Amino acid sequence: MTDLNKKNDVWQGTMALMVLKTLESMGPLHGYGIARRIEQISGDRLSLNYGSIYPALVRLEQEGSIASEWGVSENNRKAKYYRLTAAGRRQLRKETEEWEEATSIVARFLAPKEGL
Amino acid sequence: MKRLRRLWRRLRGLATAESRERDMRQEFESHMEMHIADNIGAGMSPEQARREAALKFGSMEAVQESVRDESRLLLLETAWMDLKYALRGLRLNPGFATAAVLSLALGIGATIAIFTVTDNLLVRSHPYPEPSKLVMIYETNNRLDVDHNTVAPANYFDWKAQSSSFSAIGGFFDYHVVFGDGRHSEEIDAQAVTGEVLPLLGARTVRGRVFTPDEDSDKAYVAVISYRLWQSWFGGDENIVGRTVQVNARPFTVVGVLSPDFYFHTRSTDIWLTLGLKASPELRAKLGRWLWTVARIKPDASLRRARSEMASIGRRIELEHPETNKNWGVNVEPLRESLVGKVRTQLLILLGAVTLLLGVACANVANLLLARYTARMRELAVRGALGAAPARLVRQLLTESIVLGLSGGMLGLALAWFAVDRIVAQAPKELTRSVEVSFDSRIVIFSFALALITSIAFGLAPAVLAMRGDLNHALHEESRSSTGTGHRLRDWLVVGEVACSVALLAGAGLLFRTMIGLQNVSPGLDAGNVLTFRVSVPKVRYPTDEKVTQFFADAVQRMAQLPGVRSASAVSYLPFNGMAAGTDVTIAGRPPAKPGEGIGAVIRTVLPNYFGTMGIPIIQGRDFSYADDLTSTPHRFIVNEAFARKNFPGEPVLGKQISVYMADQNPMGEIVGVVGDVREGALDQEPAPTVYYIHSHLAYSQMVFVVRGQTDPESLVAPTRSILHSLDPELPVSDVKTMATVVRLTYARQQFSTVLLAGFSLTALLLAAIGIYGLLAYSVVQRTREIAVRVALGAEPPCIIRMVLGNGVRLALVGTVVGLGGALLLSGVMKSMLYGISPHDPLAFTAAPAGLFAIALLASYLPARRAAKVSPMEALRNE
Repeated sequence: MTDLNKKNDVWQGTMALMVLKTLESMGPLHGYGIARRIEQISGDRLSLNYGSIYPALVRLEQEGSIASEWGVSENNRKAKYYRLTAAGRRQLRKETEEWEEATSIVARFLAPKEGL
Repeated sequence: MKRLRRLWRRLRGLATAESRERDMRQEFESHMEMHIADNIGAGMSPEQARREAALKFGSMEAVQESVRDESRLLLLETAWMDLKYALRGLRLNPGFATAAVLSLALGIGATIAIFTVTDNLLVRSHPYPEPSKLVMIYETNNRLDVDHNTVAPANYFDWKAQSSSFSAIGGFFDYHVVFGDGRHSEEIDAQAVTGEVLPLLGARTVRGRVFTPDEDSDKAYVAVISYRLWQSWFGGDENIVGRTVQVNARPFTVVGVLSPDFYFHTRSTDIWLTLGLKASPELRAKLGRWLWTVARIKPDASLRRARSEMASIGRRIELEHPETNKNWGVNVEPLRESLVGKVRTQLLILLGAVTLLLGVACANVANLLLARYTARMRELAVRGALGAAPARLVRQLLTESIVLGLSGGMLGLALAWFAVDRIVAQAPKELTRSVEVSFDSRIVIFSFALALITSIAFGLAPAVLAMRGDLNHALHEESRSSTGTGHRLRDWLVVGEVACSVALLAGAGLLFRTMIGLQNVSPGLDAGNVLTFRVSVPKVRYPTDEKVTQFFADAVQRMAQLPGVRSASAVSYLPFNGMAAGTDVTIAGRPPAKPGEGIGAVIRTVLPNYFGTMGIPIIQGRDFSYADDLTSTPHRFIVNEAFARKNFPGEPVLGKQISVYMADQNPMGEIVGVVGDVREGALDQEPAPTVYYIHSHLAYSQMVFVVRGQTDPESLVAPTRSILHSLDPELPVSDVKTMATVVRLTYARQQFSTVLLAGFSLTALLLAAIGIYGLLAYSVVQRTREIAVRVALGAEPPCIIRMVLGNGVRLALVGTVVGLGGALLLSGVMKSMLYGISPHDPLAFTAAPAGLFAIALLASYLPARRAAKVSPMEALRNE
């Protein structure tokens, strides 16, 4: 497996996870709102290129984790609202567990050596 | 299923890319606006706000590009990557790849080959519109135990007059004619048909037309020819319609050419002629059942209705005409059944056999893949931990399976391509006579579907099963000591392989025994060095019996003079070669038989010295002489032992007077000789009572010459032909073959299945051996440490060998028992193929497991020996 793919998997996985989590806690939201929310939650430690959220949204929608429909935003603009589907909820639960598992493994690698 | 749904959404995503991009642009712009508004709200100047937004979002094109990548490349590019990875993996394990691909290729190849033949014969529709409405109508006779008899013309006309279930009923028969264009003539296959036959079959012409109702007469002298004859003889001549040709030396006019795909009853028919059968009261007085009958059921009628209607018509005719119809009934059978009915069992057996073989091949591949995945557990676990999604890993394994499956499928297809021609060439005539067998795109599609399904089901399923166990588990665990789910599954797969192989071996054993038995049956004649060929003389040039008799007598006597020829003669029908005439016999001094209980006999007409030439012993009396071969001499007959046994038990036969119901006048004649029995239809059938005529009193214009040479009969073809041509240069010679071939063809059916089944079972045996070997070799590697510990604790090499061997033997034993059980249950269906042995023949059923066991022992011994060589120090140090 090449490096490119590994990065892809991890990065896309993270972005998708953040989008799913945001939709779970906030309910239906348009794309811009999701991006803003992710920035806020990260305490602005994550400087998000807003453009990078679209591929994640397209992918999640194709996978059936989220669904969208056109609506009107708080200030009367036409906007596409995304919401979590049941499959998305399951996906979120699974990915959260996997993410925790993966980080704990990595953490064990990085933890001070206790001697094998 | 879920994965499939997701894949579908993805693919749909590709299709609607355009509308999605429009959506995306709108969405992007609206978000941009929102951000600008937010920025202004935060106190930026409109220009600043716009610039900041542009920075934050990046360019519209870049975003669109990345979205496109996401949806399209994600699918295609990673698929490509998986493919490369799979190919590399297979290249690195050539042994594994070869074993897996070969297993699949053999399994799939055999399946496709047999499937092709089966599909052609049993499944594919015939070239007639609404073929399901077409039926053949036969006469049946319980007392004679026949249910597919040809029909008496009088009954045929009664059926036509009394039935209402059919839109048309037609009669026909297959024969040969001498066809010529004035310069050159040849014998070709012909079909004489009543006016109904071609229209009810929906025959279409490419030139001209089929027969008109006026032409439904034996004086019409018109012909319809096959596309094949039109092309090969006339080079596709556009002026074919209206052309005059010679049929049996009489001018006929060609009125039409049938479409290329048309054939009926006999595939090699090249010319259709009018039968000109007319209903008349005299028909009833003439005995003889010789007409084939085909019919089309009315669109609103059912087969069941047609059957019950014909059954009651049959009973009525039996009551009205007991003198001809006592014990005779009617059998209505779908056309397809009629054409392939006899070979159905055989094909189904072969289909079952290839399914077993395919099962073995699949189990083998699954086994190999499972071993490979178990070995790769750690690698997969590491990649999982590094962030590869499980779905991604599964897809990769899937790619590998598919690569294997398609390679195996392609190779199998190539194998089948070669095999089908061989099979058809080898196949008994009854299998291919009536139906064409070809290889088409449907078969290719079928084979690839088979390859894909096989590889996915048997490659991926075990992988998923193996992976279902926690991947992380594999990371922590010492994989070497784990036995795991995979192992148990692999045991079962090997057991399955062994079971299928045993069943196949047992089936092959049964057929093999039958073959040996048939080859040892004495045919009743000496077929060595006898050449046979058929000649018919046209009525036009040989109008009287004397002329016909004279010609054949001259020809035979000249042939007998040829150097290298021991003797020569001729007969109306060869034994073992399909049909022969049969009729009733009356014995002088006995009351005439009651209707339906007459003395039946097969009738042959021969020239002098037939028995000597064929090596048929003369038991009593004498052979015919040329003095008998004159129309002026009284009737004299020779009968076979079966006839004598049946009709004159314990009485002297010679000198008895009999009359044979063959012509209009059938005077009593003396029996002058008794000859040995010859098996009639096939070697596994009892010889039929037979009466031999001398040619002069039953002067067939078509006879089969039999010439016994001193050595190879093939060398007599040219000299005998030149004798015929010196007598009559226009007579074609056809069906040249040796008598040995004729005899061999009678057990072609068993031979064909035996060869195929033997091939299948040996292949299965080989695969099962690979399976056992692979499993044990792998488990030895896995258990190296355990074995090392045992050796360190004092286990001797024989003990280790016994341990590993025991493992293999245990699997082989379970598999054998299961396989034997299955074979015992299934072998009943082979009953009709067997001769002289029971379907539960003890020899076949002990040889099969014994053979398998020997192979299994050998396959287990190799890894066992390796296990015994494990050096404890080295193995443990490697930990």
